[in-house]
Amino acid sequence: MTVLHSAPKFASNEGVIEAVSETISVWLIEAIEAHGEVIFRVERDAVDKVLRILRDDHAYQQLMEIAGVDYPSRPERFEVVYMLQSLTKNHRVMVKCSASEDTPVPTVTTLWPNAGWLEREVFDMYGVTFAGNPDLRRILTDYGFEGHPFRKDFPMTGYTELRYSEEEKRVVYEPVVLAQEMRSFDFLSPWEGADYVLPGDEKSRGAPAVAEPKTTEKPADTGAGKKADEAAAKPVGGAAPAQKDSGKGAPGAPDPTSKEGGR
Amino acid sequence: MSMNLQESPTTEGEVITNYTINFGPQHPAAHGVLRMVMELDGEVIERIDPHVGLLHRGTEKLIEHKTYLQALPYFDRLDYCSPLAMEHSYVLAIEKLLNLEVPLRAQYLRVLFAELTRICNHMLNMGAHILDVGAFTPNLWIMDLREDCLNFFERASGARMHSAWFRPGGVHQDVPEKLLVDIGDWLDNRFFQLFEDAMSLVMDNRIFKQRNVDIAVVSREDAIAWGFSGPMIRAAGLPWDLRKSQPYDVYDRMEFDIPVGTNSDCYDRFMVRVKEVYESAKIIRQCLRDMPGGPIASTDTKVVPPKRGEMKQSMEALIHHFKLYTEGFHVPAGEVYVATESPKGEFGVYLVSDGTNKPYRCKIRPTAFSHLQAMDFMSKGHMLPDATAILGAIDVVFGECDR
Repeated sequence: MTVLHSAPKFASNEGVIEAVSETISVWLIEAIEAHGEVIFRVERDAVDKVLRILRDDHAYQQLMEIAGVDYPSRPERFEVVYMLQSLTKNHRVMVKCSASEDTPVPTVTTLWPNAGWLEREVFDMYGVTFAGNPDLRRILTDYGFEGHPFRKDFPMTGYTELRYSEEEKRVVYEPVVLAQEMRSFDFLSPWEGADYVLPGDEKSRGAPAVAEPKTTEKPADTGAGKKADEAAAKPVGGAAPAQKDSGKGAPGAPDPTSKEGGR
Repeated sequence: MSMNLQESPTTEGEVITNYTINFGPQHPAAHGVLRMVMELDGEVIERIDPHVGLLHRGTEKLIEHKTYLQALPYFDRLDYCSPLAMEHSYVLAIEKLLNLEVPLRAQYLRVLFAELTRICNHMLNMGAHILDVGAFTPNLWIMDLREDCLNFFERASGARMHSAWFRPGGVHQDVPEKLLVDIGDWLDNRFFQLFEDAMSLVMDNRIFKQRNVDIAVVSREDAIAWGFSGPMIRAAGLPWDLRKSQPYDVYDRMEFDIPVGTNSDCYDRFMVRVKEVYESAKIIRQCLRDMPGGPIASTDTKVVPPKRGEMKQSMEALIHHFKLYTEGFHVPAGEVYVATESPKGEFGVYLVSDGTNKPYRCKIRPTAFSHLQAMDFMSKGHMLPDATAILGAIDVVFGECDR
């Protein structure tokens, strides 16, 4: 595919997959090159080993980012993605592994000191734990926060809200109360595979199949019965009487001041 | 209060207790809502535990609920000191997934305004840094220049700060010819006089140097290991600039130098920024000189909405307009990590698309996160007031750090 876009151009991906795959083949699940990115999917337990090899033998000196992603339909629902950068080769690769809530990922704080906060963030947002991280506290959410907000099943509105209570003279936490239901607009075209039922279309899906499909060959099959008598359609009597003016004026506003005066 | 008792050499055997203070979250030198729990031995910093996240708004989650175009303005609100630089990574990430060609004029316009944003950002950061270490005047002077930049943004996009002007496929609207003339005129006749004046007050100033030279020295190895980028890594002597090494848009056509530091202290970081302003001005001048005419957004009607006039005339354009502003465009499934050189360092966007009109995941790589994390090891052994100089030299903005 010819590159048309003007996104950052780093060194060519040619030969990178082969060279790296050779050294990490034991733990490698798959190596992908798509959209100009090189991605290595590796076994979770060996992430630290793989990253060490990439850092020491392949000159990916910098760990720029660790991202968590949630795919709720997968057996191991989370993905942890490491973005590495080589200053000497001017190249970037991604390494990813899957994880679930109760399968800790080995920490890479032993390789890069800045992995500490990055792992804390993934833990805070997704609940993925990192074995060996010495300081796995929450980082972005509030003190005392419960839950992991970036999971797909965590509602965007959250569960609690806080306000300053004038009575108690302090900030109080309360369950979220929405004046109207949270609206999530879905503009996907219904003709292109939107997986919801359009209003009025409920019966179209899941309706039981009939043995004999109904056909309307003759007018009698329509179930409309005989044509009504034409005479019945004729109007009877004159038109409806016009609204008569009773002659009374509409009640006006009271006089500005009465003699008796107000209270 | 820490219970750690120790003998101090300065108090002749008298026992001094280490104590813990809160720096922030409401502190003018914290550059936003940063809370640092500091353990001090007298006035010497023993340990710093920065608490971030006080400005966490869940931007990444919000983006997952918006179409690609609707998510764009969130990027302005990340680093609100350099909004267009934030948009740059995002639109490039979308374009990389779409493999969308951007017309040359749009690329020039983006580079021009990205550099103007860099100047705008450095004006604020340098002013704040100088203010943090005790000089008042330069901040007022260069804030005026920042105001000029904001006026240029307003003339291009209609908004001073939250421009939402870079769009997938190009920019939103073309700029008036007079604006380009005025930017050139501003650089030639106004900017450098004022800027050099302001910098002459601090660059060789004894007090400014005493507060910054040899503060928070970071070795090259540490700078690499801690994931530094931008002026922080360049001050450590590494000529690493994504505009040069991984050029995007028309940066590969630009001639500019990468200023590097020698000593890797706060003073070097400051001076790298000063020099970067000159390089940015160079790039702006080249953009103004070489900018071709032509369309300012891709002609792919399935991504870029039609022009207003066209929309009123053509049925086809009307349908495209309606579809793009309701459903939005679909992005092919896949994932990319796109990082650009924002004024503060590497600003990256990891974009996962599932083929629909909304991003499945949009992870933002803030520059400040790695830098702030190194605050503990950079400040160790320095005095309490040095913490503000170190923070100023990091150039941290919490809209971006906390997202």
